[in-house]
Amino acid sequence: MTPLFALLFDSIDDRLRLRGAADKAVNKVFPHHWSFLLGEVALVSLGILVLTGTYLTFFYRGSSELVTYNGSLELYNGRMLPAAYESVMRLSYDVPGGLLFRRLHRGASHLFIAATVLHMLRILFTGAFRTPREFNYLIGIVLFTLALAEGFIGYSLPYDSLAGTGLRIAYSTALAVPLVGPQVAYWVFGGEFPTGDVIPRFYVLHVMLLPALLLGITGVHLFFLVRQRHTQFPRRGIDGHNFILGKPLWPAQFAETVTLSLWMFGLLAVAATVVPWSDVALSGPYVPGEVGNNAQPDWFMFWLDGMLRMLPAFEIDLPGVTISALFVAGLVLPGLVFGALIIYPWLEKRWYRLDGDWHVLQNPLDIPLRAGFGLGTFLAVLLMSAAATSDQLSRITGIPIETVLWFFRITTLFLPPLLGFALARWSRRRLDRRDLEVARRESTESQELHGVVAERV
Amino acid sequence: MSTTRDDESEAGVGPSSRPTSGSPAGELQIVSSEDPPPSQINDALVLGLSIVAAVSGIVFGVAITLDAPMLLYGSALAIGLFALGYAVRRYFTDRFPLVEAVEPRLRFTDPDIEDDDAAPTSIPAIQPVPRRPFLQWALLGSAGAFLLGLLAPISTLGPRPRAGQIRQTAWREGTRVVNTEGRPIRPDDIAAGGVAYVWPEGAVGNEKSSVVLLSLGRPALEPTILDWVVEDRLVAYSKVCTHAGCPVALYRQQDEALFCPCHQSTFDTVRGAVPTFGPAARALPQLPLGVDRDGYLVALGDFEELVGPAYG
Repeated sequence: MTPLFALLFDSIDDRLRLRGAADKAVNKVFPHHWSFLLGEVALVSLGILVLTGTYLTFFYRGSSELVTYNGSLELYNGRMLPAAYESVMRLSYDVPGGLLFRRLHRGASHLFIAATVLHMLRILFTGAFRTPREFNYLIGIVLFTLALAEGFIGYSLPYDSLAGTGLRIAYSTALAVPLVGPQVAYWVFGGEFPTGDVIPRFYVLHVMLLPALLLGITGVHLFFLVRQRHTQFPRRGIDGHNFILGKPLWPAQFAETVTLSLWMFGLLAVAATVVPWSDVALSGPYVPGEVGNNAQPDWFMFWLDGMLRMLPAFEIDLPGVTISALFVAGLVLPGLVFGALIIYPWLEKRWYRLDGDWHVLQNPLDIPLRAGFGLGTFLAVLLMSAAATSDQLSRITGIPIETVLWFFRITTLFLPPLLGFALARWSRRRLDRRDLEVARRESTESQELHGVVAERV
Repeated sequence: MSTTRDDESEAGVGPSSRPTSGSPAGELQIVSSEDPPPSQINDALVLGLSIVAAVSGIVFGVAITLDAPMLLYGSALAIGLFALGYAVRRYFTDRFPLVEAVEPRLRFTDPDIEDDDAAPTSIPAIQPVPRRPFLQWALLGSAGAFLLGLLAPISTLGPRPRAGQIRQTAWREGTRVVNTEGRPIRPDDIAAGGVAYVWPEGAVGNEKSSVVLLSLGRPALEPTILDWVVEDRLVAYSKVCTHAGCPVALYRQQDEALFCPCHQSTFDTVRGAVPTFGPAARALPQLPLGVDRDGYLVALGDFEELVGPAYG
């Protein structure tokens, strides 16, 4: 530490006396494993999103009123465009650096959601959600939901053709909720779509309410993490139940985090420079009643779009209520997936009658329920997502769209349960094969906890 | 009556509390503690104020929902806040001893003292006076009712759906069919096999009223309503998909089908636009189409079927 820095630090600490607490914080140990970086990548992306997003708000206009575009883009010069779209065009083509910042924001949003999803899968499959971390796992699901909402709304704000189509589907889905649908849809959209209220409202949600929740709840998430300490993979020579082996925050992990952040930002800068992330100039402004040939949401909404495509047509008219395929595919089935995510820690605890603290991570194949149910559900979501590309697949391969859709309907219905049961069975066999003595020796030597589970299965 | 309650607060520290470093930083030294006198009036007051707050909250909610004068709901809000605040205050002065305590200061620039961030003991040093618990529930219930009333402004976020509003479009009897530029259309403007995206006159861009006007290559079949087919070839269907509301914007010439690019619902335009593939369950509604005295295409009325997706 340079003398000047030390002097500054000391004189501040003389007035706050936080050195003890600070020492404790910098002594926090981070176990090394690449998958532990996923959450960090999400965190850094969130930071980049805040930085670039703040810049974008200086230029963006949250309104769908029609205004005349006078800018350097020949395509729209002199045309009437929705103010939101017009401001995005101006920002992208007449503000030096504007397009770069837009693409950085888009790239970071993809990275944020991808890292969040992978982080969640890591937590799920290695059992990091077990006691005492169930509540932090639930907080994580809340953050994931907020991230999806931010992603969808951010995709809507440029008010290009795809954005308008996405909003129309969201409005239709809200309308489809039995009994309260129309009122809820009117409350959210301010009346019948397309109203002038939706863009200003979604703008405020996107830049104020949701980020505040996202940042605040992320703080709670990290507080839980610091207080409960990291989990870690089993390692010989360390009693993982009572100790954590890893790098302390200062200086090793700090250096790593700074490097990661800067390199990530660098990679995003490369990507933003060369990849036309969502350059909405070509998809055109949203015009009611018009749509392009390829109407696809962002990849993280594919699973919902795929469900909308796959669920066969039905509308059940009951007295005063209509239950439609749109409602079931757009809300009930995603609700079931989220429900399964939410109850899973308690389901596993009940199934294997577990109690006590669990800090050592597992191979998911050692836990038959997790291998079967977890990977089966994950495959189902993957197939649902793939189904959202049915029209593109049909066009590329020349196979009729009907055939492609039926392929996805059948595989989504049958493959996940088949794979689930097969994996659960295999996992159980694996555990059976493992000699009991070996399991016991392992569990005393390295305190691996899956030996205990093996006996209980 | 003044008693020192030091011993009681010490006794409250259970075995579950974390070991502290012995520093006085987290501890509370009670100097004096005075139990509140028993009072019947206090109970009645807290109960009464709780009821006033609850009623005010509900009045606020109902009044704002019914768009009553601001004087009413503004006053209800103010009265509710004051009443709830006073109820909370009286509750605490009645249930807890009046305590004065000493908290040691940290000395910041003394190099000898140890840094300490030990948390205060988790057991509150100040114990409530044991009295009937029911006021607590009255207070919580009142706060709940008040907060419920405060949610009422949600109802102002959008209009109330009126009966039939979702079913209604801009098409009326005699409304001319116009193109995107607003020019009315004669049957001859649509060539054989042609397709046009059209609107009701005066409502170009009204999403729910967008219509696909087609010239069929072969005679329309059931369940097409033949009375609404002009010159045995021109037929008009709603352009809003009955699945999720996307524009059914693609026309496939070879089988005269309308195709939705969002979720691939396909509609047979020769047979009343019934769905032949995909997630749409209902046919695209057919617009009652005719020709007026000046030879322009007009609507004979609004759609008879629901336009767009089903609603709950």
